[in-house]
Formats: sequence, C-alpha cells, structure tokens
Amino acid sequence: MTATRQKVDSEAASKRKPGLSARQRKRNKQNYMLAAPQLIIFSVLTLIPLVLALPLLFTDMTNFKDLQIDFIGVDNFTRLFTDASVAADYWPALIKTVRFTVFNYAMVFVFGLTFALLMYEVGFRGGLFTMIYLPWMVSGLALGFLALMLFSESTGTVNLILEEWGLLGDPINIKSETGTTIILPILVGWKAAGFNMAIFLAGLLSIPKDTVEASIVDGASYRQRLFRVYFPQMIPSFVIATIFALMGSFKVFDELAAMGGLYQNDAAEFLSIIFFRWGFTQNKLALGMTLAVMTFVPLMIVAIALQRYQKHATTYQD
Amino acid sequence: MTIIDEKNPETTSLSERDGDNLSGAPRSASVSGRRRILRVAILAFFFVYVILTLMPFYFLFVRTFVATADSTDMWWWLPPEEEVNMNAEIGNLSIFLNLDIAEIKAEWGIPLTEYVEPRWDLNRISEEYDIPLETIRATLTPFGRFNGWIVLLGGGSGFWSSIGRTAIVTALGVIGINVLGIMTGSALAGLRFRYQRWIYAIFLVSVVIPPFLLLLPQFLMVNLIQGVIPGSQESGLVREVSQLAVLVFLYIQGGALSTMIFTSAIGAIPREMEESAEIDGASRWEYIRHILLPLMKVPIAGLTVIVLPFFWNDFLAPFVYLDPTNTTLQPLIQSFVGQYTTNFRIVFTGVFVSILPLVFIYIIFRKWFVAGVMEGAVKG
Repeated sequence: MTATRQKVDSEAASKRKPGLSARQRKRNKQNYMLAAPQLIIFSVLTLIPLVLALPLLFTDMTNFKDLQIDFIGVDNFTRLFTDASVAADYWPALIKTVRFTVFNYAMVFVFGLTFALLMYEVGFRGGLFTMIYLPWMVSGLALGFLALMLFSESTGTVNLILEEWGLLGDPINIKSETGTTIILPILVGWKAAGFNMAIFLAGLLSIPKDTVEASIVDGASYRQRLFRVYFPQMIPSFVIATIFALMGSFKVFDELAAMGGLYQNDAAEFLSIIFFRWGFTQNKLALGMTLAVMTFVPLMIVAIALQRYQKHATTYQD
Repeated sequence: MTIIDEKNPETTSLSERDGDNLSGAPRSASVSGRRRILRVAILAFFFVYVILTLMPFYFLFVRTFVATADSTDMWWWLPPEEEVNMNAEIGNLSIFLNLDIAEIKAEWGIPLTEYVEPRWDLNRISEEYDIPLETIRATLTPFGRFNGWIVLLGGGSGFWSSIGRTAIVTALGVIGINVLGIMTGSALAGLRFRYQRWIYAIFLVSVVIPPFLLLLPQFLMVNLIQGVIPGSQESGLVREVSQLAVLVFLYIQGGALSTMIFTSAIGAIPREMEESAEIDGASRWEYIRHILLPLMKVPIAGLTVIVLPFFWNDFLAPFVYLDPTNTTLQPLIQSFVGQYTTNFRIVFTGVFVSILPLVFIYIIFRKWFVAGVMEGAVKG
C-alpha cells in the first residue's frame, strides 16, 4: 500500500519538479537541515577517512605519529607476494578467517533456520524466544572468556565434565586452530541463535497463510513444503542472514582478544587481529591499510551485490 | 500449521488430511496423534536447549568462587570455605589474593606507616602485633571464597568508574541515535525526491563497510580532530571527556538501521496530520516535537533495544580510543587478564558482573526486546 502511494507520489513529484510550490521548496530546505547533522557526522567519521586514506596506501607510513612519509608506489600492494614475513602473517590469518566464516555461516542455519522452522511448527512462543535470544546480551569479549572457561585444555568445564563421565578422548583445546575455527563458531552461533531465528521467522511469518494451507491440502510433504513453498518466499531472509554472517565473521575481534589473540595465541590470529597489530603496535600502518583494502573491497562488493539482489527480490519494501 | 490449528478446528481437519491416505477416519486420528507427539518433541527439544543455554551462566557464577589452583577440578557447586593457612606468608597472600594491605592494617590496628615484613607468616604477625588468631582468621576468611567479588567491587579495580562511564556513553549513544534518527527520518520520509533517496542510500552504505577496513583510517581522522582540541593531549578532564565524546559520536554516526526504522515509521503517518498542524500554525519543529515524537514511541523502543547491547558491550572502540585509565567495562575486563594473571576469580567475576546489568534490563523489558528484534528483522 505505502509502496504504491510512494511510487505515485514520486512520479507526481518528478513531474512537477520545475515548478515546486514555495511550501515544498521551504520543506526541502528544512529536510536538508534535518538530515545534515547525521550526514556530517557520518561523512567526517566514515566517508572522508576512507577517501583520505587512499593516498596513504602508496606511502611508507609506519604509525600514526609518523610524519616522515615517503611515496613508495605500489610496494604495499606487491609486498604480500614479495615479502615472506608479510605473507607468513597474512595467508594463515586469511585461511583461519575464511574457515571461521564457513563454520560461522553454517551455524546460522544450524541454529537460526532450524529453530525458526521448529518454532513455526509449534507457534510463536514469547517465553521461549526470550530464552533463546538471551545469549545475544553477552558481549563478544565475555563470549571469548566463556569459550576459555568451557573449553580450555585443562580447566575447561566441558572438558572436565566429559572427563568425569569418561567420555573424553583428547581434551578439546580452545587455544588451537580447531578451537578458534570450529568451537568458537558454535559459541557465536549460540549467541546469535535468537537473532538469526528472528530473521528467518520474520520471513516465514510473512508467507501468506493461504499458500501454506493450500500446499497442505494438496498433500505436499514437509520436504516439498520446505523447498517449494517456504524457502523460495524466504529469499530476503536468506540474503540478510548471509550479509550479517559474512560481515560479522570478518569483523570478529573481541572473542579473539579475550582468547589472547593480541599477544600469545597464534590460533586466534585472524585478519582482524593482524590488521590491528600492524596499525597500532607493529609499525606497518600503510601496509595494514593496503592489505585491508585488498581484502575487504571484494567483500564489500559481494555485500553490495547481495544487498541489491535482496532489494530486487523484495520488490519495493521499505 | 499449528498457529492456526489451535484456534480454528476447521483448519485442523484440513491439515490432518495430509499424507497420501485420504480415505479412512482411523488413519486421520493417527496422523493427528503423530502431530501431537511431534509438537511435544519440538517443545522438549527447545526445553533442553534452554537448559543448556543457561548452563554456561551458571558455571561462570560458580567459577567466580573457584581459586586458580582448584580450577583443574570440576565444581558443580560453590567450593567449600577455605581454611586460612596460618603458616602462609603475608606477602604471598597479598599477591595471590590481591589484598589491599592498607585496609588489612587498619583492620588489625597496625599503624599505616609500619613496615610489615612480607616473609612473616600469620602466626608471627599475630605474635608481633598481639592480634588474636581469631581476628586474623575472621578478616582473611572471606578473601578466600569471595576474593573475586571483593577485589572487583572493592574499588581498587576501577570497576565502578568504568561501569559509570559505560552507562553514560551508552545512554548518550541511545539518546543521540534516536534524536538523529528522527531528524533524518523526518527529512527523508516518503522518499519522494531524488535527494532523499540519495541520502537514504548513503546511510545504507554503512551496513556494507567492513569495520576493519575503516578502523585505521578512522583512527587517523579522530586523531586529527582531537589534535585540534586544546588540552586533549595532556591527561586531564578535557582529554577524558573528549575521548568519551569520540565514542558517543562513533556510536551515533552511521545509523543505517535508525534511518530505515524512522524513515518508514514517519513515512507511514498520514500526510494530513502534518498539513492540519501546519494550518493550525505549527512550525515544522513544533510538529516534530509535539505531534511526531509522541507517535514514535514504538520505533524508539525498537531501535533502543537493538542498539543497547552493541553500545554496552562494545570492546574495540573504547579499547582503541580511550586511555586504559579512563576506559569502559569491556576493555577493563580484558586488562584484568594481564593484571591478575594468578587470579582467575577476578577475571570471571568481572565477566559475570559485566553481563548482569544488561541481562536484568533484558529480562525486565523482554517484551520490547522480542518485539524490537522481530520488527527489525522484518525491516531487514
């Protein structure tokens, strides 16, 4: 309804553009004034820094206090392939980050989608939702400490319980690569379960009831309903969940910091940690910014493409 | 479709007829029975999951009482009261239990200026200063079990000031993002003009900017701006306030979500509302203040409950932009790891206590949180 009205309005507006009424001109001016504060803050803190940083990618700036900046061409871009020490930092971190992303993305479905489908079957229950959403209140840092508490090699609660029950072969070690790329995503999935469930549940609840009933009357099995009725109409939910999981996985930092990623834990050295250290403690500022651009610009393009696809798929939703 | 089932018997009979057998009544009854079993199974599954969800919080609570030395044992319940070892040297005790020596001296009536040999054990101290052993035991006993809580809440850890800063920054962030969101939303409502759609698109960009692409350039920019503020380079009130202000500005800047929520909420208000206010002589500002604002209660609550955990739980921004002496809750807890390496209890107590305020708020306003996240999910 609103969408149609807006469309008509916008057509009308563009038609009478040359002769806007005095009232509308005044309103437009007011609109600029109203939007200005947030737009200025956003520009100063996000858009302008990104543009200003571009020339620095071609310099040897080492840290934030460095004033002796020399132009070094595209060295920063090629160092990943020419400098072994840079490659030794970057590639393992990228692999770990990607592994984490894959498992983290899987958890979106293991927790979020499964729970949404199950809750759709038994009806929306506020109390249940409240409990499933509860871990979302836990900070990333606290989640990292919880991971340590539960899965540390010798002191982890889960390890100790399994040991007591005699179920344990080798203790799980959260400070290993398996720990950070498989166990940690499970915990992150647990934390985000309610959030992701909300996304999928919103998609499910927006499916017209008639469609679902009709498919039941026609004798569709549950699997047929899933793939022919539910999923095709939940595409926006899938896209949103994908964007969040993708962006969220590449920015995971707090959990790793809690697990000692910033000093002694190699297994927790993801890209976020590497860029942080290059910029703030290891005097490789320009290099860090360059590799961040090389890593994240493709990610951004994927995210924008997904966003556009979702806009396309939903056809005129606010 | 159980959502309809319960209220509407007609639909139930429809859904019961599913499967390939359309003929017999007995079959239909068995299908309905199977559905009921399935429902119970799903609810049982959720019940188990909820219990599992609560377990980490419980074990975290238990851990706040478990000494580092005992942490390789499984504790299902709080460990028993520790007997104070009278042969322990006071120096070691003060390190392992993070005792505040000045306070202990005051309690035992030892002058503050008096040097207490750290190698002396408690028996020796009892003799030297003529303090009954019971007094010593009574003073030190709580430091065993409740050590984490005493050290954390006792004042020396910087906990109270940091939780205060967190609360201030979170509150200002929530107010700021709502105010800016309503302003932006009323400027863009309807998205009728090209410039409105452009501004809207610019704000949406913030969703797809990876934070670690932005981190270093943003720090550069903030440094430049802070360099201009007189007095922000030396430690002092100006520096503290300006650093906290940076944090608030970082929280309220992007607002893709606030823009989406308020633009659509304000766009849904009939235009006649504003026109009639205008005819009655209200200015745009008066309209926003007196008519729009009261209508925005639901979107304000929705946005607030979504951003609240992000602001309260933020680690990276305060870690980067605040001095360690002037920081918020999350970086403080992170710093405990280095500071109290021999005492897990303080770290775990810090983690536990940092979760509590938000969980309390969540439990009290749970209806709003659930409604907010469902609303937000629909908006996408």
